[in-house]
Amino acid sequence: MADAPIGQVSSYSGALTPTTLLPDLGSLPHDSATTHVTGTSEFIDDRPMLKGELHCGLIYSPFARARLQHLDTAPALAIPGVVCAITAADVAHNMWGDVFADQPVIAAQQVNFVGEVVAVIGAQTKEALARGLASVVVRWEKLPDIRSIDAAVANASFIGHELQIAKGDALTALKSSPHTIAGVLKIEGADHFYLESQAAVVYPREDGQLEVHSSTQHPTQTQHVVAKACGIPFSDVVCVAKRLGGGFGGKETQASPFAAYAALVAKRTGCAARIVLTKDEDMIMTGKRNPFQIHYECGFNDAGKIIALDAMLYSDGGAYADLSTAIMARAMLHCDNAYFIEHARLRGQVCRTNFHPHTAFRGFGGPKGVALIEMILEDIARVVGRDALDVRKLNCYAPDRDTTPYGQRVENNCLPDLFEALETKSNYRARRQEIQAWNLDRARNPHAHARGLSMTAVKFGISFSTRFMNQANALVNVHMDGTLQVSTGAVEMGQGVNSRIAALVAEQFGLPCAAVRIMPTSTEKNANTSPTAASSGTDMNGSAAVMACQKIKHRLAALACALRAIAPEHWPTKTAGAATQPEIAISDRAGTFTMFPDATLHDARVDGTGATTNVNSPHATRVIFKNSNVIVSEPAQPDFQIEFSQLVSEAHFNRTSLSEYGHYATPHLAFDKVKGQGRPFLYFTQGVAASEVEIDRHTGEIKVLRVDMLMDVGRPVNHALDMGQVVGGFVQGMGWVTTEHLYYNDNGLLVSHSPSTYKIPCVQDTPRIFNADFIVNNANAVNVRATKATGEPPLLLAISVWTAARDAIALARPVHAGVPTTSTPFSGATNHTHSSSVNLGSQSTAKKNLVRLSIPATAERVLRELSPELFARWDAPSTP
Amino acid sequence: MRDFALLYINGVRREIRGREALLMLADWLRKEADMTGTKIVCAEGDCGSCTVLRAFANCATLTQAHTQAKVHVGVSSVDGQNATHVAPLDFEAMNSCIATVAQMDGSHIVTVEGMQCGQELSPAQVAMRQCHASQCGFCTPGFVMAISGMLEKHGGAGGAGVDAKMAANYLTGNLCRCTGYTPIVQAALTVRATEKYSVAGRYSNAAAIADALAITKQPLLIEHDGVKLFAPTSLREALTFAAQNPGFRVLGAATDLGVQINKGKPLPRVVLSLHLLDELYQAKQTRAGIVMGARVTLAQVRRMCETTAPELAHFLNLFASPQIKNVATLVGNIANASPIGDTLPFLLIAGAVVHVASRPSGKGPIQKRKIDMCDLYVGYKKLALEPGEIITHVSFDATSSNEILRLYKVSQRKDMDISAISGAFSLTMAGREKHPAASDHKKTDTKPPIRTGQKQTTPRVVSARIALGGVAATPIRMPEVEAELLGDFTLEKAERVAQMITNSIVPLSDVRASAAYRRVTAGNMFRRYAKEVLHG
Repeated sequence: MADAPIGQVSSYSGALTPTTLLPDLGSLPHDSATTHVTGTSEFIDDRPMLKGELHCGLIYSPFARARLQHLDTAPALAIPGVVCAITAADVAHNMWGDVFADQPVIAAQQVNFVGEVVAVIGAQTKEALARGLASVVVRWEKLPDIRSIDAAVANASFIGHELQIAKGDALTALKSSPHTIAGVLKIEGADHFYLESQAAVVYPREDGQLEVHSSTQHPTQTQHVVAKACGIPFSDVVCVAKRLGGGFGGKETQASPFAAYAALVAKRTGCAARIVLTKDEDMIMTGKRNPFQIHYECGFNDAGKIIALDAMLYSDGGAYADLSTAIMARAMLHCDNAYFIEHARLRGQVCRTNFHPHTAFRGFGGPKGVALIEMILEDIARVVGRDALDVRKLNCYAPDRDTTPYGQRVENNCLPDLFEALETKSNYRARRQEIQAWNLDRARNPHAHARGLSMTAVKFGISFSTRFMNQANALVNVHMDGTLQVSTGAVEMGQGVNSRIAALVAEQFGLPCAAVRIMPTSTEKNANTSPTAASSGTDMNGSAAVMACQKIKHRLAALACALRAIAPEHWPTKTAGAATQPEIAISDRAGTFTMFPDATLHDARVDGTGATTNVNSPHATRVIFKNSNVIVSEPAQPDFQIEFSQLVSEAHFNRTSLSEYGHYATPHLAFDKVKGQGRPFLYFTQGVAASEVEIDRHTGEIKVLRVDMLMDVGRPVNHALDMGQVVGGFVQGMGWVTTEHLYYNDNGLLVSHSPSTYKIPCVQDTPRIFNADFIVNNANAVNVRATKATGEPPLLLAISVWTAARDAIALARPVHAGVPTTSTPFSGATNHTHSSSVNLGSQSTAKKNLVRLSIPATAERVLRELSPELFARWDAPSTP
Repeated sequence: MRDFALLYINGVRREIRGREALLMLADWLRKEADMTGTKIVCAEGDCGSCTVLRAFANCATLTQAHTQAKVHVGVSSVDGQNATHVAPLDFEAMNSCIATVAQMDGSHIVTVEGMQCGQELSPAQVAMRQCHASQCGFCTPGFVMAISGMLEKHGGAGGAGVDAKMAANYLTGNLCRCTGYTPIVQAALTVRATEKYSVAGRYSNAAAIADALAITKQPLLIEHDGVKLFAPTSLREALTFAAQNPGFRVLGAATDLGVQINKGKPLPRVVLSLHLLDELYQAKQTRAGIVMGARVTLAQVRRMCETTAPELAHFLNLFASPQIKNVATLVGNIANASPIGDTLPFLLIAGAVVHVASRPSGKGPIQKRKIDMCDLYVGYKKLALEPGEIITHVSFDATSSNEILRLYKVSQRKDMDISAISGAFSLTMAGREKHPAASDHKKTDTKPPIRTGQKQTTPRVVSARIALGGVAATPIRMPEVEAELLGDFTLEKAERVAQMITNSIVPLSDVRASAAYRRVTAGNMFRRYAKEVLHG
């Protein structure tokens, strides 16, 4: 129960000011808000069952690694209502995988993780399915397995080769550094816990075609995996993803095999087939955030400035490659985070183990690199006896120190401003003193609970680090009543990508958002798409949609210019039937006018009423799309105005196309993965957060007392949706660093496979005081409408909760590291800003006293750090 | 004998028989009634996506609603005829995924489909939309229903009286993975109930209430596919059934059994539901103590104990979710016999007595006996009950004024989590003053200071009771520790006792905690308790 009111997110009133170049596109509700609250939004399992539709269930491995000695599905088929059984022999092309195609759709002879599927049963009722599944006879021969990164390294059980990013000479620089710290950081995985478990329905259509409805972030991949498994051409499969009940990366690759299982049943039987995993099955079978183990050494000077960083990152990829190598790359690309590192050697190796294949999860490796460097900065501060915020500011990217270890320059660097602004907004210095006083004040803190405070940053690279994935396409259809249907490859999973794209398209045509309907994502309209991932959904698909809009607008604008000179009674709608007038040629008008809004919107400005005015127009004639009208404006002439819907009708009767397709390829990307150098990212989304926590002295439980966040999200398309991403992402990250604990038994089975044992944050876990805000930043010219992606970056700011817990533990230790020799434990008023008062003796003590706290910082782990003496006697070798 | 369960779903009368009656309500709504707004995520009552509102009208509950008494003492008999003019129904949130349709017999259920008035959104729906409180939308109907349930209790005066803390307490049973909850709490704070949209106002149809009362005077028997579910209307019938059907299983709120069924355990073949036994809904306070019938929910217990056992009421805020507490019973928690049952350590030290009844061979008078709570558990999930015996009620002592009672729970997540360990600590000190702030207890964040008589003298313990859950196969009392505590009480002694507790238990390591953590926190619970006793 809350013992203080749950905090509210502060308003974002200060975020945009009248100096903003473009009007706020509004904070319109999510396009599905009404159907969400009425329960009428349709998810996969809400689709009505067709007559004869089959339920699919799975037989999967109970062992981490085993030989499939014997598999007999005949007893299942003998049960009334059981219709079919599918095994590996029935799969046409039994291998899939995005990076390396190394994973069987259905395992044949050997299984490599608990949850690996060996058979699919299709039945007419759930009762028959349960009986059928129970009667399948399977015999396993358990084989030796690998269930830790250490074991994988010892056995050289790897996926892919070692990756490396290097800058300067880290090893030499480490040797000459005045101080070094070294250690191993262990970071565990986390379950996505999307509320809608993996699900798909497959309808067999005529002539062997399949219509797949899947809860997938990657309809194109799902289409391809289904087609290959069924042995049919891609052209015979349509994959539709209307909406997802959450994805968070967990449905970027891992939705596809489940769709394939239903498809195999549908193809075999000719009946519709549905698969809906239970939460338990989903959590047992599907991969998580990759666990990491990072061995590091960092050199720094007396002031705390980093000189060199050498880090070897190992990740647990699970049994198959999935996306783990790309995740590793992103982890390495984020080891610098907000901080300039002169000499760096970052190496990464994915390990092959016998766990579910780990996969994308919001942040995609980034959080691991960021956790490493943020922890190192805290430890440096302890060793040199300065406040960690001062050490961070000292190391922060700055104009003369703005090159990342991989060679990309940090452009549009807001980080120093963000630190300064949040230091003031959060009242950091005063609270730092108050916390130290409170910790020691037995009148106010009788149980000796421990409070801590920490401010961390995020600089998240936006773009897929794999170049070819940075492309998107969009189909825009304008209908004759002036309303639009837009289809893109973006999948709506709660983030509001539909609403954002609708707003971008509506703005292009000067229409209200209600005139734009975003259609279900489907591979028949948008083929060869990338997954909706890497925070790129709006950037890429929105850009593609705007490009398509521009093409249509160009034709409409030309037509409007022509209509201006034609008497209305001669317009196409009046004359096309009898064809008494010649058609209006519009192609020769190209290059004779300027459109507003233009594609980039960079030069557009708005007047006080929100109307677009001329800026730097290369042409005298301006065609303005606004307020559902199209206006042709020329100097010294009266404006010509026509309703958008009228113009659209004229275009149709003039045989002018009202549909367009846009293809966007993110520009400027040039990252050589082999060398580890180049420009992997179009831009960086940045932010800072300060978290204050209180640790219960008796249990180790962490309570988040206050969080202040400040983010640079460029120029938001929709404030409310961006704020939703920021707040929601932070709380999701809090779960990862605190209470979410994956507990496996000795067979490699995930035991914490439901919310009764796997604890994501609940409403009572949200920070008691929670302030989130955006800064004004109109300068992100490289992206559509100068916006910045918000999907993943806020999650990484939750690392501040973990570092605050480390801070609290350090402060609670009898003589905490770095305390200037002049202060007494009871003065409680030290702010650690004077490194000169720290002697060398305290530095070596400080190094020994550094907090060792893994992620997640479960209550048990925290208590072990806080009161190691109480555990000494009881510590069994196998503590979780 | 009746062969159908009677439910009013969004005001529509449904007679549900056979196979359908044995489905979970959420499955029935989604698959048999095509009402897919109610979602299923965890199927174990831990996420709230399946939340619906339920009102159950029988003589006892109608009387309670009518009197609006927070502390309801006893139940006067109100017959169905007179009851029909009473009372708006009392709708409360519950999880529909772990309750069979049959046990909802006689209930009025409102789902998200029943919230709109024509095309108009309900106040909760409007607020959720305006506050951007839905992202992916999967948890949203559950939150709409949880907020609507809150409005039924606190929305009367234009939503007055709902603060952020209360709102959060009503939302503790609902998980969201997208929003971070903040906009949902804002929705709960901005929502304003109106008479027009009151669920009770819209669905308290006198004819429907009368119909349900009349129909539920007949016993219910559902038989399907080898499963027999019987709901008698008298204790005599119930005990006869129990005697004649060895291996029967009592179906209470099914907040544990329902989970097991959803996870693949077959429904027991012979099931006895006590939901039509009005007398088991009794909850009363006598001079001898507090008595709770087998059908009294934990929500009722919490309300009743706010003054008589405030520490228990306070503790129950951390127990499960509102949706669970609205249906789960105290006796169910006892009968389930889990070593980590959250109320059990308290009952072990509160002099609880379990009252059981039977009718051997199904004939003759009802035989009753009492079992001391400390003798009830004979092994892991094993009760000292004879075949055919049913627990009818439990009684326990109110907290006495010179007793210092504290209940603690350690879990991975503070709220809505099953404990790793839990503890109940009670010391009675010599010459201790009556607690001045006992009645304000739950309103204060920090525990009120405890006076220990003369400051200069060493406090003396005259009686000590300690019980722990989660450290053995059953919840346990700790007699040796209790004996050690008698006499002078000092910090040095407290530390010795804390170590004694740590050393004397032999807990297991499992998904919730390691054995070492359980040992250490068991000792720490006592360290905290001792500090509260000695220093306040």
